[in-house]
Amino acid sequence: MQVILPDKSRHTLPQDPQDIRGILLKFGCNPTSVIVIRNGIVVPEDFTAREDDEIRIISVSHGG
Amino acid sequence: MLSPDEQRRYSRQIMLFGEEGQEKLKDATIFIAGAGGLGSPIALYLAAAGVGKIIIADNDLVELSNLNRQIVHSTPDIGERKSESARQKMGAINPGIIIEGHHGTIDSENISTLIKDTDGIVDAMDNFETRYILNKAAYEKKIPLFHGGIHGFSGQATTIIPGRTACLRCIFPHAPPKETFPVLGTTAGFIGVLQANEVIKYLIGTGELLENRLLLWDGERAELDTIEVEKNPSCPICGNNGE
Ligand SMILES: [Zn+2]
Repeated sequence: MQVILPDKSRHTLPQDPQDIRGILLKFGCNPTSVIVIRNGIVVPEDFTAREDDEIRIISVSHGG
Repeated sequence: MLSPDEQRRYSRQIMLFGEEGQEKLKDATIFIAGAGGLGSPIALYLAAAGVGKIIIADNDLVELSNLNRQIVHSTPDIGERKSESARQKMGAINPGIIIEGHHGTIDSENISTLIKDTDGIVDAMDNFETRYILNKAAYEKKIPLFHGGIHGFSGQATTIIPGRTACLRCIFPHAPPKETFPVLGTTAGFIGVLQANEVIKYLIGTGELLENRLLLWDGERAELDTIEVEKNPSCPICGNNGE
């Protein structure tokens, strides 16, 4: 699967299914400060990503 | 019906969307939640464009450290209520519209009164707790919510049409931690102008809104990106088992 981090860098992970929480942990992302998009849809932390998925991690801008 | 003065004031817009479009703006009421970094350009541009009635709410006083980005306020306004400072500037730009300033915190008790009879709610808040209050009220009252958020050089915006699009909670399921955030004035300006542009398009009924699209602005790289978003069937607000 492909993972795109907030800095736009792309990473290819092994084929095995992985939960989003684990992916965030692996890349050092705080789950409360980001949203995770899988193939265009926001997915929760307990979602399991599969081999063909594109996972995009986006930093939330919370100020105003 | 527009007066001769209004026809002159808005002539460049009337070239775009006709007197009919301008009258739609004149007949509209918009609630701006926040008179800070985002609220400043939103308030100024919506007032200048001729939105007939604007209600702007904020619970803060103007401080020196606001002035790098909160361009509706000036140095002599330090210590003044932001809602009042904004009201005065908007009135100076356009004395032909109605502006109401509300000094106070937006909460789940007063939100229904604040948004009563409004055609749109603009999210110019600096925290997600209040944004969730706006989102819930917008969904219940079926009023569009124009979201914006900023941090540093980056920002995001989306337009939420209850019943038609993902709601704010679908897109942002949990509130990021509250913190004093770094931000550049131009980031607030960029995202605030986008939100005001969405409001104007919505009121006139022209163009394509940021519906089910989250626009991301990376000011450091000067890159814009939009990602598709969808309703979350298990969203606590708009999902199948909503509150
Ligand atoms: Zn929702």
